[in-house]
Amino acid sequence: MLSDLTSLHTEALAALEAASDESALEALRIDFLGKKGKLTALSSGMKDVPPDLKKDVGAKLNEVRTAITDGITSRQLAFQATKDAASVSGLDITLPGRPGLGIGSLHPLTQIRHLAITTLRRMGFALAEGPEVETEWHCFDALNTPADHPARNESDTFYLNDGRLLRTHTSSVQIRTMESAKELPVRIIAPGAAYRRDEIDATHLSVFNQLEGLYVDKDVSLADLKGTLEYFFREIFGPKTAVRFRPHFFPFTEPSFEIDVKLEAKGKEDRWIEIAGCGMVDPAVFEAVSQSRKDTLFDPTEITGFAFGLGLDRLAMILHGITDIRHLIENDLRFLRQF
Amino acid sequence: MQVSLSWLQTHIDLSHYTIPQLSDLLTFAGIEVEGIEQKGVNTDLIVVGQIKDSIQHPDAEKLSVCQVDVGQGSDRQIVCGAKNFKVGDKVPVALPGAELPGGFQIKEGKLRGIASLGMMCSGRELGLTDDHSGLLILDTTAPIGKPFRELVEPDVLLDLEITPNRSDLLSHLGLARELAALTGLPLKGEAHHVETDLQTRPATPAEIRIDAPEACPLYIARTIRGVKVAPSPEWLQKRLHSIGLRPINNLVDITNYILMEMGQPLHAFDLAKLDGGIVVRHAIEGETLVALDGQNCALLHDDLVIADQTKPLAIAGVMGGEESGVTDTTTDILLEVAYFQPSGIRRTSRRLSIHSDSSYRFERGVDPKQALGAADAATRLILAIAGGKAEDLAVVAGTAPTLVQNIELDETRARRLLGIPSFTADEGHAILEKLGLIKQTANEHTSHWQIPSYRIDLQRPVDLIEELARVIGLDRVPANFRAAFAATDTADRAYDHLMSLRSALANRGFHEAQTLRLISTTQLSGALGAIPAKGLDTAAVPVKNPLSEDHTHLRPSIVPGLLATAALNIRQGATQLRFFEAGRVFLALPKNNTREEERLAILLSGPIAPSSWHAREPQPASLYDLLGVIENLVGSAVTIEPKPIENTPGFLLTSELRNGNRNLGWIAQLHPARARDIDARHPIYIAELLPSALRQLQSGPAKFEDLPRFPAISRDIALECPQDLTHAQVLAALEKAKQPLLQKIDLFDQFRDPTGQKLPTDRKSLAYTLTYRAPDRTLETAEVDTAHQTLLTTLEKALPVTLRK
Repeated sequence: MLSDLTSLHTEALAALEAASDESALEALRIDFLGKKGKLTALSSGMKDVPPDLKKDVGAKLNEVRTAITDGITSRQLAFQATKDAASVSGLDITLPGRPGLGIGSLHPLTQIRHLAITTLRRMGFALAEGPEVETEWHCFDALNTPADHPARNESDTFYLNDGRLLRTHTSSVQIRTMESAKELPVRIIAPGAAYRRDEIDATHLSVFNQLEGLYVDKDVSLADLKGTLEYFFREIFGPKTAVRFRPHFFPFTEPSFEIDVKLEAKGKEDRWIEIAGCGMVDPAVFEAVSQSRKDTLFDPTEITGFAFGLGLDRLAMILHGITDIRHLIENDLRFLRQF
Repeated sequence: MQVSLSWLQTHIDLSHYTIPQLSDLLTFAGIEVEGIEQKGVNTDLIVVGQIKDSIQHPDAEKLSVCQVDVGQGSDRQIVCGAKNFKVGDKVPVALPGAELPGGFQIKEGKLRGIASLGMMCSGRELGLTDDHSGLLILDTTAPIGKPFRELVEPDVLLDLEITPNRSDLLSHLGLARELAALTGLPLKGEAHHVETDLQTRPATPAEIRIDAPEACPLYIARTIRGVKVAPSPEWLQKRLHSIGLRPINNLVDITNYILMEMGQPLHAFDLAKLDGGIVVRHAIEGETLVALDGQNCALLHDDLVIADQTKPLAIAGVMGGEESGVTDTTTDILLEVAYFQPSGIRRTSRRLSIHSDSSYRFERGVDPKQALGAADAATRLILAIAGGKAEDLAVVAGTAPTLVQNIELDETRARRLLGIPSFTADEGHAILEKLGLIKQTANEHTSHWQIPSYRIDLQRPVDLIEELARVIGLDRVPANFRAAFAATDTADRAYDHLMSLRSALANRGFHEAQTLRLISTTQLSGALGAIPAKGLDTAAVPVKNPLSEDHTHLRPSIVPGLLATAALNIRQGATQLRFFEAGRVFLALPKNNTREEERLAILLSGPIAPSSWHAREPQPASLYDLLGVIENLVGSAVTIEPKPIENTPGFLLTSELRNGNRNLGWIAQLHPARARDIDARHPIYIAELLPSALRQLQSGPAKFEDLPRFPAISRDIALECPQDLTHAQVLAALEKAKQPLLQKIDLFDQFRDPTGQKLPTDRKSLAYTLTYRAPDRTLETAEVDTAHQTLLTTLEKALPVTLRK
């Protein structure tokens, strides 16, 4: 019996060595360990083994069974390893990836607007909005624009048949916001479309995009305006950007400034680029709001504020080096894909 | 406004300022420098030369080879392309090393093989005139070899943007006054000529009658007889030339000169053509006048005219009449200096589209107190240049209005608004005094200021603070970083939601477009046909004064814009079209009301993925792809029920997208005929969603549901049914059965057989997996079988279906 086991052991090891694939291994397992297998047949002879030999024979039987089982497992692992390696052999990982649905894009204007909004929100401004079809009062009168100001002319501003107009700036949202404000401070930004009766060309659109800002409280000063807008433009253009304020004139702020930032131009000297208008809210604006509200929350002798406005289309053009504003409304894929 | 630096320098010595310094000075005083142009040349290397000889270039028909004496002993050989000279002419010669205006460097060189040692110049090359037709031929007396700049003084032309409030800067004198205030430099020369000792007498009604004193409160006339109309002297011509004005004759030139010098428009009438005295009146409706520019103007009552006893002579403050103006034969003139109300001038000038240097100043406001001084200065010039004799007294009708009054400055308020803690009242007062304001009284808290008559922009206390800020500049102001808490507003939530939809679409391969909000009715009806979904079928809002036929209406939908975007990109060869746009639309409501709302439109057409080595031509998108995109956008918690809408020309399959009673938008396939119109190779699918409705579906934070603890059992069924039975009908019937154990219904196949072999052609098969689960126990098979069987029986009763085995 022991010698049978020994020769079976030798036979099994040889067979394991010879097994060339997984099916041969499975056949081997059945041949030796299956119900009718050789080892199974031998182990059924245990009952005839004399009791004094049972221990040795049993031990040998186990040894042979373990050897065969382990041999099969190790051969299986080897076959699996070979298969795993083969499964990726010949793959060229420099081939382009599967494109899925393809790459989409947000319009550059959306991206700029979002950058401006997220920056200003970090600085404590909330969003506000107002209608684009506006009354002349909200767009001009309340913003201290003289009754015969040329901007009101039909050659410059779009009107509807009922006398309302398409707002010429987002500044009308200043008025809308202050009219409905419940308390101070008012600290808002209002991105939105504005309309001017300009022929469309490389630098003009009849419909364009602005972002308005307003901060009203007790004791808001020019220092607040300067700190806020310098910080904002350095966030947009980089921390070292030079920002300058040039005195200017707008009907709804006094004093008023235009803001330039100094930008690099390839191969040229750095240039000052006009980027926004701003100023301290004119008391006449607060007076108009107070008259409309019929209360004293915006009493011009008690409160001050600053306002600013910038052209988002222009900002996008400057930041991306876009040379013709019409690209922004033509939506050529070759353009959109660049952003 | 065009400003000549040398003209300016007759009033103030700016020689210590470089041009960039001057430009900065102006810029930070609120006067934007839009252009700087060097006129003439500021170098000794451009000299007077005399052409001694000229022969034809042997190899170039258009060139000649000249020998030019530039006073250096021997003649200089210069090759030249001009034809307008003869031997003996004197011309400006740029020697090697010279730089012409615009930066062109003169070098020795060869032209077609012949050495050329310099360049003879045209007027334009020297920045003097626009004449480029030939060489600038100089006077025969010009000394050979003399630097050209000693003959023609170089100048700098500044193009300044004067803000509309500062009409006092619209003249050389006014600008010099401002620069003197800013720099502390003294004014010189004729600066004083605003003040005058000219004597006046009141006009008799027969001489001057002002019928419209509110529009013309002051009218001054000076009669000068015996003048001789002739070309102006050289200095005057040069002054006008220097700012781009064309000299006409001495009288006209003098009025133009005073206008540019003092900012005071004046007008000279030919006295011989006047029929009686002057009448300042509103025009008679329908009255016509031929203006100096030849335009025949039909006047309205609102327009103000200067008339004689029988006819209008001039459109007041805007332009003189052709008939009464100065001509070569004029000998006696009436010189008009007046003050006109700005708003009237502006209306007339706009309406007639006549924009003159005169109207430009009157409509911004002219200092009424300088009128007499201007009349005097102009008269003196006329007498000196054109001769004649002026009447001793100027005749005056009306009075100069007072446009400025004293203003109080609140020192505390000024300091607080400026935000400069160290700012003192003394510093502020020094600035205001520098600007010509006169302190009347002052105490600890306030000071009172008299305003110079020309500063009509200074009307309120805040205007004084503005002056302080302007002069101090923002450099002195500390940057204060202070923020307040900002509460999230509805606008913030709407923005964030729309932005998340935008990002989601961009991540699904869609490109965001931005199209104009103004469109044409043609584009509108072309794109939308009869506008589809109910509730979205409102009419577009027309613009009263559109710029062109292409932009007559506010868009009531984004779809026309997206279709135009698709068309443009198809023309560029694109086949995979995935676009969206989010933005505002405008709907006309009854009673002249309009509604503005945000929309999100999506367009999908062509291959579902980009062409690649994985799939060269991926399958074209279907309506279900777009529907899937929308389902993904709204999220799994929201079911979208498309409800077909009948009769939508221009589209197929138009369906409203609903969630319960809420309208979320619509979806459709563009009619193939119209897709072919724009050369689309694949069907075009469109949807327009209402972001506000989508946003309302989000009801706060999602509520957690316990994970199922007991296994589910599923059963597959296949229903054979007529082609027109919809999935929605099957779902409805299954849900109506209210089987409590039924947890999920998944459609996994739809089968049709066009050949009719496996299934009749009018039938189809829908296959579903039905999932059963109880939340509190493991279901018994028998229990599920019973529930399933009951469900199927109900289904077969409710719908024309047969179960396929």
